[in-house]
Amino acid sequence: MYGKKGSELVRELASSEPGQLSAFNNDLFAQVIEECTGHLLHLGPLIRKIEQIKKIEEVKKLNNQELEESDKATLKAHNSGALVHHLSLLRNKRCLMAYVYNRAEAIRSLGWAIDRVLPEEIEEKLSSSEKEYFKNHAASLQSYMSELDLDLAVDMVPPKDPYIKVRVLEDIGNVVLSDQSANLACHAILFLRRTDAEHYISQGLMEELNG
Amino acid sequence: MAGQSDAQASTFSAAELEFLAEDELIEIVPNLRMDPLNLICGDFGPFRPQIATQVPIWLAVALKKRGKCAIRPPDWMSVEKLTQVLEAERDAEKFQPLPFHYVEISRLLFDHARDDIPDIYMVRSLIEDIKDVRFHKIGTGLEIISKERTYALRLKNLSAMEANIVRPFVTRALETFYKLSSPDMIQDSDSVQNRQHQTVNRGPRRQLKDR
Amino acid sequence: MESGAGERSSQYSEMDDYESLISTTDAELLKRAWQNEKAAPQILRFEAALVQRSREQIQLMEETVEEYTRNGSDPLTVSLYQMDLDRTLFLLRSYLRTRLQKIEKYMFHIQKTTELWNRLSRPEQKFMGRCIEDMEQHLDQSVLSKLPSSYKSHLKQSSSSEEDDMVPEPQLDTYVICRSNRFLGAFQLDDSGEETVNIEADDLYALPYKSIKPLVETGQIDLV
Repeated sequence: MYGKKGSELVRELASSEPGQLSAFNNDLFAQVIEECTGHLLHLGPLIRKIEQIKKIEEVKKLNNQELEESDKATLKAHNSGALVHHLSLLRNKRCLMAYVYNRAEAIRSLGWAIDRVLPEEIEEKLSSSEKEYFKNHAASLQSYMSELDLDLAVDMVPPKDPYIKVRVLEDIGNVVLSDQSANLACHAILFLRRTDAEHYISQGLMEELNG
Repeated sequence: MAGQSDAQASTFSAAELEFLAEDELIEIVPNLRMDPLNLICGDFGPFRPQIATQVPIWLAVALKKRGKCAIRPPDWMSVEKLTQVLEAERDAEKFQPLPFHYVEISRLLFDHARDDIPDIYMVRSLIEDIKDVRFHKIGTGLEIISKERTYALRLKNLSAMEANIVRPFVTRALETFYKLSSPDMIQDSDSVQNRQHQTVNRGPRRQLKDR
Repeated sequence: MESGAGERSSQYSEMDDYESLISTTDAELLKRAWQNEKAAPQILRFEAALVQRSREQIQLMEETVEEYTRNGSDPLTVSLYQMDLDRTLFLLRSYLRTRLQKIEKYMFHIQKTTELWNRLSRPEQKFMGRCIEDMEQHLDQSVLSKLPSSYKSHLKQSSSSEEDDMVPEPQLDTYVICRSNRFLGAFQLDDSGEETVNIEADDLYALPYKSIKPLVETGQIDLV
């Protein structure tokens, strides 16, 4: 049945979680393209035949004659045939476009979540054109952001208090932090920027206090 | 499909609602002396020990976390007021007036200022009950104010979080009514169907034209 | 109970007065612009002046924080300024991001609709131009170059389509939840003028975006 493979393609798209990409279905995609080429192969001769009969019809009209009944029937059949192939082609085109277009949307939203380099497990799911699209789009975004001189790929969620309460577990001494210089004496309790405190915490020199 | 993703994009996340609620003003009693703050979001202070002043909730919470103030819970958060609201909420079909961000505000204060809320367990359970009762009457408490040609709904006294919860359901239901009642529904029903299944295409089907 | 509720609402209206008094801050305006942009199905006018002012205030605040940090001011004050700065930066970034996402989604529609195109900032217009090139190239490589000649358009299904029938556009009859901070009175829902609803101050309404579009665009009503 015409259009069945195209609708499989779209169904595959619809059944995946929003924003999730499955591997680009090269086989099925190529089969739908092939179906489109097949429609054209049918469509071309049909349209030529329709045009031939139409020419005959015009000539007959000039002589005040009508088409033979058999020609009328052939014209009708060819018209219907051409319509079926045309509509099937449109349907397949829409399925192909929907597939590529919707995947492109998901690829763009990846651009916000990751830093311009695709992780391997995602990259291998993309077609070569999709990989190129990802790169081009990231570059377009980048050039917008540099024109504005503002990085939009950070602050994806509302900010929370950037400071956390920590207890110093060992004498660290006087240090210069991003926003203050502080004496980090053992047992001291103080508020530090999360970004400053994190590496002390990971080394076990500090602990975060809650509440 | 397109409609679905639109609805998702327009919904605010829980973190975003909390962010909005954090701008609401609340009264604090500082225990420190600090010059006025000339913030982008407004001017606050000066801060004097024992002198109450109004600040945005995010600021109140930041000071509270650092032990620099007590937060005065808003009037509506008293056991007495909440009991009244709960009773009225149970008796009446309509929603009782509460601050637009009552859910987020109460949660922020429960998390960060528990020692400032008298009868906190009672207050917390009253608010939970009120949330429950209100949620269960979402079906009856919304008022249809127009249904001749265009449906319109008044969501009187609905809070931010509640509006966010009912948004996908209410908007989808109203859209369906709207489509069903639209005068060109009959001849257009075909393309409405298409629209729901196809993302890229939204035009009506076209007949093959004679050439 | 009735009187209790009445008392409460009068209390809120005092709060509202206070709110409208301070609502003139750019932070508040930016927040509204952000909410409207997030909730509207269609791209809204770029708030050029507001963005400009917000960026100036952000820069000023960044300098202030730097200076306070340098001369060892009270760390508490510095952190509060920093938090205020972070909040404003988030709003600005999220506002601009929301617009970019809409531009990406509806680029072909915006491209052929002058009114919408004019709502974009210059950098946004440039960005959209590049987005369109990227997308056209991708669609062409993946699909269109492999199709018969009269089916190669990304805007039309085939050359026998009279108009662009493959361009995704925002659905304007989608419903939105909105609120006005003042009484707007009887408001016409549709062109026929037969249907009106009363829009009261501070009440929430679910209405088709199409019918309140002008009110959103002139700032008389806010989307939530």
